[in-house]
Amino acid sequence: MTTDNASRDYVSPFDERVRQPEPLAPRPPTVAGRTVALLDITKNRGAEFLDRIESELKQAGAVTFRSAKEIFSKPASPAVIDDIAARADLVVEALAD
Amino acid sequence: MITRMWLIETPDPRDDRTVTGLAGRPAPALAVDGVDPDTVSLGNLTERGCALLVFVSEECPTSALALRNLGPLCRRWEQAGLAVVAVFEDPLDVAIRVARKVGWTGRVASQEPPYETSHAYGLLAVPTTVLVDQAGVVAGTVVGWDQPAIAGLIEQAGKLLGAAALELPPPVEPLRKPGCSSKAALDPEVAAAISRPAAADEMEEMFERGWTDGLPVVPPTRERVGAMLGGADGSVSLGLVAPSMGEATLERVAACAVLAGCRPAYFPVVVAATKAMLDPAFNLHGQAVTTQPAGQLIVVNGPVRRAIGLNSGMGALGPGSRPNLTIGRAARLLVTLLGGAMPGTLDRATLGHMGKVGFCIAEDEETSPWEPLHVERGFDSGQSVVTLIGSDAPQNISDHRSRTPEDLAYILAWAAASAWSTNWWPLAEPSVFVICPEHAEMFRAAGWSKQRLRQFMFDAVRKPAGQLRRGETTPVVAAADPAAGIPKWVSPDAIILLVAGGEAGRYSAVLGPCTGMGAQIISREVESP
Repeated sequence: MTTDNASRDYVSPFDERVRQPEPLAPRPPTVAGRTVALLDITKNRGAEFLDRIESELKQAGAVTFRSAKEIFSKPASPAVIDDIAARADLVVEALAD
Repeated sequence: MITRMWLIETPDPRDDRTVTGLAGRPAPALAVDGVDPDTVSLGNLTERGCALLVFVSEECPTSALALRNLGPLCRRWEQAGLAVVAVFEDPLDVAIRVARKVGWTGRVASQEPPYETSHAYGLLAVPTTVLVDQAGVVAGTVVGWDQPAIAGLIEQAGKLLGAAALELPPPVEPLRKPGCSSKAALDPEVAAAISRPAAADEMEEMFERGWTDGLPVVPPTRERVGAMLGGADGSVSLGLVAPSMGEATLERVAACAVLAGCRPAYFPVVVAATKAMLDPAFNLHGQAVTTQPAGQLIVVNGPVRRAIGLNSGMGALGPGSRPNLTIGRAARLLVTLLGGAMPGTLDRATLGHMGKVGFCIAEDEETSPWEPLHVERGFDSGQSVVTLIGSDAPQNISDHRSRTPEDLAYILAWAAASAWSTNWWPLAEPSVFVICPEHAEMFRAAGWSKQRLRQFMFDAVRKPAGQLRRGETTPVVAAADPAAGIPKWVSPDAIILLVAGGEAGRYSAVLGPCTGMGAQIISREVESP
């Protein structure tokens, strides 16, 4: 994209397309009866954190299932995202170290 | 005569249009910018009490004196209900930098030409300090640095707040110092010339646009970008650059190459490096945003090295060679600008390293006793190839005393024992050894193949698991029998051997890895774009 200047014509190194932010999904008033995906990004001790969260969620009446990224340093694969989207009402993603 | 009489008459204070005449009048609104503009509005400043406006400018030594003397007290004053703001007659980035440098703990605001706020306050000089009460009325003003008068203003603020006495600025010398002319009081043309030298300076404009890695750049004019493209179709896309997924059209890659200072002859190497970086197996996304220091090392092999004058000799990892420095920088600018991985934003590196400015080396294939890297990786020796490796900073390995290849190999290999982390064994990711010509010659003379050296180094660096259990260690070590020997690398293949450097001096180097990224080494042939 060209950026006009009063005296010079530069080529921008930026991709200047403006992206619209994705709206947040509506938040349910309670987790009771909801299915919650617990996504482990596979960073050290993330599973421990999710164990605690899972225990709390179950006490609050949620149904849980665990999911995991192949590696923490890459975005989750489309298969993992699709699976969570199909099965879960809510998702908790654990970052740890 | 009549004129003289007027001169000796006491002027009516209502005729005073300078800042001193503001006392008792409503404070003019602040047409200023701030990191959070809401926090530097008059309404916000007086919301919890009074406001102290300290008008300053970067060039004025008296302003710096005032900022230094008042700066440490601002936070406590703010807690007591006196909001303090330094109103700079400078751009916001300058204001923030100066405030940080002098230890200013109050709020920071900026005004640019034509300095509406300074005009509205009738400013003649900076620093000028203005106390505004909770009703938005000017309660007092002090022009220049005048410690007793400013202390009086603070006492007045304390009384207005009805709070316990506010801490006063210390009576350190100089107690008084005249200020400098406010930019609002200058002739408009002079003010513009002083305050915005950047406006007419193309190099400064690049900084204002954010088209930089922190160093000056070559402005990417359409002519320069066109020359860089050399007739190639600029709309061709090489893919999306993580993490912000800017589309790498050839034109934008060329713009980065121009910014970096590349000559058009280097562009095919930049394009090949871009293609390699954008291979998903390289995981640029992870490398670009990690808290690790990792940079992207570009190794160039084949005829293109000599064709464009890449340095593989003296100072091969250092400064001095335009192609090395600008090709590496172009690739990094692509990540930083198009990919959005600017340190402090999406690049979260705790420390980083200077190789993240740009890191391009060429192998000295002519001096090497071994097949070059690209041939090892399946290319023909006549092909020109770039190989991208996620890499840490170089660590020097001095060895002037080894008299056998075994001793030298041992010294080289053990230098990498702390690569990544002291007890992080074994490493799955590659350690890159840059072997200097004198060291390489010892292996040549002894008839050691690259594979033999690699295997020796791999076998040499082992420790019992029990000695690797302090602090950060690997699951492999944690699970192993304490007596089990753990190698530094998972396999000899994690040892990359290159030859480069000056003909004299027995200094090699090892570059630790980028770990945990699942990042592969990626090679791409250099072709015409």
